[in-house]
Parts: sequence; C-alpha cells; structure tokens
Amino acid sequence: MRRFVIVISAALLLLLGGLTLLSGGTREKRADFTFINRGETKTLDLNRVSWSQDIRTSYILWEGLYTIDPVRTLQPVLGCAGKVDLSDDKTVYTFHIRPEAKWTNGDDLTAHDFLFTWKRMLEEPGDYTYLLYYVRGAAEHEKAFQDYVAENGRYLAAHREYRDALAGWNGKLKAADWDVTKVGPRPMPPPGTTPPPAVPDFANVGVEALDAKTLRVTLKHPVAYFPDITAFPPLFPLHERSMRKFRQVDPNTGAVSYDKEFTRPPHLVSNGPFRLHDWAFKQRIRFVKSEHYWDRDRVRSNTIDQVSCEEPMAQFLMFYNGSVDWVADITIGPEVAADLYGKKRTDLLNVGKGFGTYFYSVNCQERLPGGRKNPFADVRVRHALSMAIDKRPIVENVTRLGEPVTSTYIPPGVFQGYKSPEGLPYDVKKAQQLMAEAGYPGGGNWPRIRLLYNTGAHHAEVAQIVRRQWLEALGIDLELEGVELKIFGERLHNKDYDIARASWIGDYLDPSTFTDKYLSTSGNNDSGWINMQYDRLCDEAARATDNAVRLEKLRQAEAILLAEQPIIPVYHYVNADLRRANVKGIRENPRNNVNFRDVYVEK
Amino acid sequence: MIRFISIRLLQFPLILAVIYVLTFLLAWVAPGSPFEGDRKLNPVVVERLKRDFHAEHWHTFLRYYPRNVLVTGDFGPSFEYPEWSVNDVISRSLPVSVSLGLMALIIATVFGVTFGVLAAVRRGGPFDLFSLAVALVGISLPGFVTAGVLLLLFAVEWRLFPIGGFRNPYELFLPAVALSLMPMAYVARLTRVAMIDTLGSDYVRTARAKGLSRAKVIWKHCLRNAFLPVLTYLGPAAAYTLTGSFVVEQVFNIPGLGQHFVNSVKNRDQTLILGTVMIYSAFLLSLNLIVDVLYVFVDPRIDVTAKAD
Repeated sequence: MRRFVIVISAALLLLLGGLTLLSGGTREKRADFTFINRGETKTLDLNRVSWSQDIRTSYILWEGLYTIDPVRTLQPVLGCAGKVDLSDDKTVYTFHIRPEAKWTNGDDLTAHDFLFTWKRMLEEPGDYTYLLYYVRGAAEHEKAFQDYVAENGRYLAAHREYRDALAGWNGKLKAADWDVTKVGPRPMPPPGTTPPPAVPDFANVGVEALDAKTLRVTLKHPVAYFPDITAFPPLFPLHERSMRKFRQVDPNTGAVSYDKEFTRPPHLVSNGPFRLHDWAFKQRIRFVKSEHYWDRDRVRSNTIDQVSCEEPMAQFLMFYNGSVDWVADITIGPEVAADLYGKKRTDLLNVGKGFGTYFYSVNCQERLPGGRKNPFADVRVRHALSMAIDKRPIVENVTRLGEPVTSTYIPPGVFQGYKSPEGLPYDVKKAQQLMAEAGYPGGGNWPRIRLLYNTGAHHAEVAQIVRRQWLEALGIDLELEGVELKIFGERLHNKDYDIARASWIGDYLDPSTFTDKYLSTSGNNDSGWINMQYDRLCDEAARATDNAVRLEKLRQAEAILLAEQPIIPVYHYVNADLRRANVKGIRENPRNNVNFRDVYVEK
Repeated sequence: MIRFISIRLLQFPLILAVIYVLTFLLAWVAPGSPFEGDRKLNPVVVERLKRDFHAEHWHTFLRYYPRNVLVTGDFGPSFEYPEWSVNDVISRSLPVSVSLGLMALIIATVFGVTFGVLAAVRRGGPFDLFSLAVALVGISLPGFVTAGVLLLLFAVEWRLFPIGGFRNPYELFLPAVALSLMPMAYVARLTRVAMIDTLGSDYVRTARAKGLSRAKVIWKHCLRNAFLPVLTYLGPAAAYTLTGSFVVEQVFNIPGLGQHFVNSVKNRDQTLILGTVMIYSAFLLSLNLIVDVLYVFVDPRIDVTAKAD
C-alpha cells in the first residue's frame, strides 16, 4: 500500500517537473508593452471595424490622413498626410501624403490606396460607410452599386438560363418555347444582343488622385469635423496589392469581396507604427514596430502584446500581479473598479470624462406594441417621469465610478465651444402635478407598462431604483422585464417596448454624432419621436460654414429634444482604466482613443 | 466484440443527425437575432451579412447549410467572430479544452482512487474524516469559488503559477486541479464504498488466510473490483470536465471551447452553436463507447456482446 502511494506521488512529481521544464522551453519574451483590450478583437477588416476594441487595435496598426493627437486634446493632427489645403468654400480638401509614408512592407503609400479603400467601402458597405456620405456622390454611388449588383444578378441568371436552354437544344427545344406570346419564363435572346448593365463609375464620387501622393476630396457641403473623420479607422487605407489574392467574385452577381484571410498575419499590410506579427485567437495579438513607418524614430516600444481576457476579475488579477501594464476599459465589471474608486487608488485607477450617455428611451408612438393606448404620447407624462427620478442614488450605489448625473443628452464639456441647454430638474411636486393634469392623479388610471432592459450588466439595479422612485413619487408601478442582449437589441430597434434602458456613445468630434440619432430618418431613432423642427435645425447645422452658427443650431436642436423628452437622461459615462504609474504616453480623452506611437513603459 | 463496436459506430451518424436537427430547430426558434446589438446596423450591411451566411430565411439556411456541413465538414463562418470560421474557432479551442479536461480527469481518478482506498482501509480514522471533508467541499462548493480561491492562493499570493492563459501545459495545471475537485470527490466516495464492500468479502479473507500481505491483497484483488463503479462514472465525469469547464475557463482566462459553448447561445451565433454541440456530442458518444469497451478488460464477467444481441 505504502509503495503504491509512493509510486503515484513520484509519477505526479515527474509529470509536474516535466511540465515545468517544457514551459521553461516555450515561454516567450514579454512584450515592451502589454495590455488588455475591451474584448476580443473581432475583425481587422477596416470595412467592418466598429467595436471599440477593434477601433483601438486599428490605431496600433494604421494611421489615417489625420490622426488623433497624442497630447491631451481631442483635436485631430496630421497623420500620413503632411500638408492639407482647404478651398475657400471649405468643401475641397487636398491631402498631400508624406513622401516618406510607407506601408509595413516598404511599398509607397499613395492616393490610389485611399481610392481603392473608399471605393470598396461604398461597394461593400460596412457599419460606418455613412461617414463617407459627406463626400460628393458617395451615397449615390453606394445606391447605384447596390442596384447594379441586383441588376447584374438578373442578367447573369438569364444568361445561365439561355446556356442551359442551348445545352438542351438537341431536338428537345420546341418552337413553342420561343413563342413570344407565351406567358412565363422562356429562353433569353443570345448574349450580346442585350448589353450587360453598366458598372457605376466611381469617377462620379468626389475622390480623385491628382498624382501618386495627392488626394483630392470634394464634399457635398462644408463639414468642419471632416479631418476628425479621416482620423477614424474605417477611413484608414487598405493595401490592395496584398489583398488581391484573396479577391473573390460572386458568380451569381459579379459582386467582389475579399476573403477574411487577408487580415491575418503574415498577409495583413498596414501603414501605422506597428505591424501585425502574430494573432493567436482568444489568446493574444502581437504587434512589432514597423521599420517603414515614416515617424519610426518616435515609436518608443518595439513590441506590443494585446492579451485576451474578458473576465473582469481575471483582468484585475493579471494587472495586480504585473502580467499586464494596462487594462484599457473596465466598464464591464464595475465591482473591482468601484472599490478602487472608493478607496481613491488613483495610482492604479484612472477615471476620466466619457463620450456617452445612459438614459431611458420612451416609446413615443401613438400606440404601444399590441395596439395599447400610449400614456407616453402625452409630453406631460414624459416630463413627469423624468422629473421624478432622483439620479444620485444610481451613480452612488450602482455604477459607483463618480459618473456625473445629468439632465442633458450630449455630454457637456466634451465638444469645444458647445454650450449645453438646460434639462429638466428633479422636482417631484411638479411631476405629481403634471401626472394629475395628464389624467393620472396619484397614479390612478395608470395602465400596465413594462420597463425593458438587457440582463448581465447593472441595468437591473438601475431599473429597480427608478421603479421604486416612480412608485413612491407618482404612485405608478412598472413591471421590470430583463431579456438577453440579442433580444433586447431586436426589440429596441423594432420599437417593441414601452420604456427601455438605452445609451449612446459618440463616434466623431461633433455634437451631431449625438443629435443625428434622433432624426426622423435615422435608423437608430428607437423612440418613434419625430420633430420636423429638430430635423431642420440639424440639417441647417450640417450646412453651416460658420462653426459658432453650427454649434448654436445644434444647441437649439438638443433644447427641443430635452423639452420634448423622448429620452430621460440619467448619467454620463466615464472612462475607467487600470494603468501602472510607469506607463507613459497614454493621455485621457473622452473617446478613450490612444495613439500608440508614443506609448511605452518606463524601465 | 468487433461486432459490438461496429454496431455502436453505425449508430453514431443517426444519433448525431437527431442532435443536429434538434439543435438547429432550437437555435432558430429562439428569439433574438445574431445581427442585433446595442446599435442598429445599416440594413444594406445586414442584407449583405445575411447573404454571406445564406441566412436570408430559415429555409435558405436549411437548404444550403446542412449540405455544406455534410459534404465539406465546414460549419461556415461564425456570426460573432466574422474573421474566423466555426472550424477555426473549434480547431483552436478544442485541443485546449481536451488537454484541460484530460488533465483534470487524470488528477481526479488518481487522487480520488487513492483517497478512497486509504479512507476505506483506515475506516473511521482521521484520514477517512479528512477525505470525507475534501469530498464534501469538492461536491458542494461551486467551481467559481474553488477556482477563485486556488487562483488567489497559488497565483496571486504565492506566485507559483501564472494567472491564466494557455501558452504551455504548466499553465493548465491549476485550472485542471480546480476542474478536477468535483469528479475527484465522487471518485473518492465511490471507491471508498466499493472498497469497504470488497474488503469484507470472502475471497479477500481467503487471500489473507493463505498468507498474502494486506497491501498485496488490496492492490491485486480489491482495487480491480472497487474500480468498477468508478469506471462507470468516468463517462459522465469526462462529459463534465469537457463541457463543465466554462466557469474554470472564465476564471483562469483559458481559450477553451467551454466559453464558446455558452457564449454562442447568448450571442445567437447559430453556426457556432451547431459546431460546438456537434463536436461535444461526437466526443461524448466516443467516450461512452470507450468506457463500455473498457468494462470488458476490467471485469471479464461483463459481456458487452450479449447486450448488442
């Protein structure tokens, strides 16, 4: 018996020892800078990049015509373009690409690369294609190309039918089949008699290469923040030559696409400070400094590792024991962060202004789902609900990262020169009075209303607080309905809810990135609220050449939104990250975007 | 024997087909769409995505997809990770899960049997109580607690092991221990009961009477019999260590298949749901077959061919 135990223990010791030796052999050198992104990078095809972790990764690999300022402002600075001329009417940008700007494989970066990328963006649209709509003819080209693909699909199908008919010719095809009076499908005339549909000409789009290094972009109307848009990853250039071997043509429609393999190492060629070295799915991505980047002398780190880790506790432990230098976002697991925030551990935790707002979206349509009468169609009810929420307990007890409570939609102090309008105050008396006027005194006559949220985050807790406040202040009770995110998204976008938790995070450096959501034409307007004056103000703002005028128009638009209250603002997001004191070059900014050129760990 | 195995193997495709159809139906009946999220997508983009996945309607998907899976073994692209196909995802994470599960299974069996035997031999003694305590903890404490405690002690406090990741087998040891606790507790209890039973039987007394040493009797005569219930349990235990690794994978940040098994459902990633379910099913079917065959070698009294007839 004793021998048995000894044998087993010895075997286990050997096993462990062997494993230790093995691990010693394969352990790789740690990167100069190691960080955990918000989640697994989903795609590096710039066309499809839209998740915030993908956007962050893109800044490691690419550089736009403009790029984000590594210093603590949000203003864009010149990137791979060394000089930009703007016409007097502010609609024609001429970008002079730096002569020394190169791809990671040493090829010259040219204006044609941008033409290729933006053409592909319009013909194979992605989440952010709409950012190109500011360019003259871009939206029209996208539409025309969609139509062409559909038309060409029909044309090609007809040809297949003709070919098949020919194949069956040997006596089987009867004259009646060619009878023009016959109703129904029949063989098409031979190819060549009808011309194939014409491919829409990209030359109609206001993007042209004047020479190899000069790109001219003509906008529909002045867009003050266009430089900022070119600093956004979906508009970064792609390297056509390395993608060519992944080109696929759909035999049914003639539409061109690229196999996802082109975004993997060693195929991916980018133009930023780093190149993609290795991508181990769900483990880590390694980036190595590019030898060809034009500003390579300023790049301080030779290698960067992006480690995959989605469990907040594991993220914190990896940071705590020194395996990673930076945890870029910790919004998903507020417990650890909130504790650190409560203990004022500013040596580890950084909290800064965010670029988004948490609010409740109210269904403003005439009828609620199922044809029920909608109490929220009455603006007084929306006001009452909004004024009866005391928001402080929410940020103090649930989110706990010092989020500013708010009565406005657009985060104040983020956009230079933008003054936020007044929102609705917290005023229970006024709220009760409004409810009485609307026909629900003390909560009488109140119908059955449900509050929708997605489970898995802190939305349930917030909803419980709000529900109790409404019950105590207004005497109305709401049912809470928590569903999974995928169901939540579907129901929110289909307006299949009464009142729902919602949020919005801006994309580019202009208040219109917020106001656009509530245009009557917007696909993201989930509230069913329509206001023509709001639409008109936003449109005028978009066309205004004077920045102050534009901001004033947008301010008026937001004032209308707050007066009408299709959304009930609760608080503004903050950005929180865990960062060691010796990590240099990361500057807080509301968008939480980082220019990795300057990031390094001080030894 | 060969006949038994071949009949079982012939049943595989049928069982897998039933599982496939059921999973497919459930995945498509479930409300929510993989193309939905916080923000609404451009309808043109959604159309294009749906075209890419042949998912315009459930019937176009049904017409195209199963044939593709059968003919090429390609489960198609993942809805959630557009850069990776389901085959990519599985081929990268399955080896991790299998090595983790196997390691946990070995630890559970070796230690479980040892604990069980020792507890049975010194019945009522301090070791028996100790093994009972370990078993109780193993069975009652949920994985995220034991895994968390192990992580805090061994990786954070004493820094003997890394916090997570899967770069080499050494990094898998701690999670494997966490995963093995539950089956280990079962194995220990099963062995103990069977061992006590065997120790009291006549042939053991005979063996002792003819002068064999106690150790030899336990090792040669008792263990084999006492191992039978453990073997029966190893099938489900393998299933547990393979599919139950989700929590441990989360805590230790291991890129295994368990997370995809759970998250694909949350994300309505229909192709990945099908892929993981089919892979797991195939695995479990094979494991059960192996266990059945192993019976014969451990206990010659069992005749599996009789069952098949």
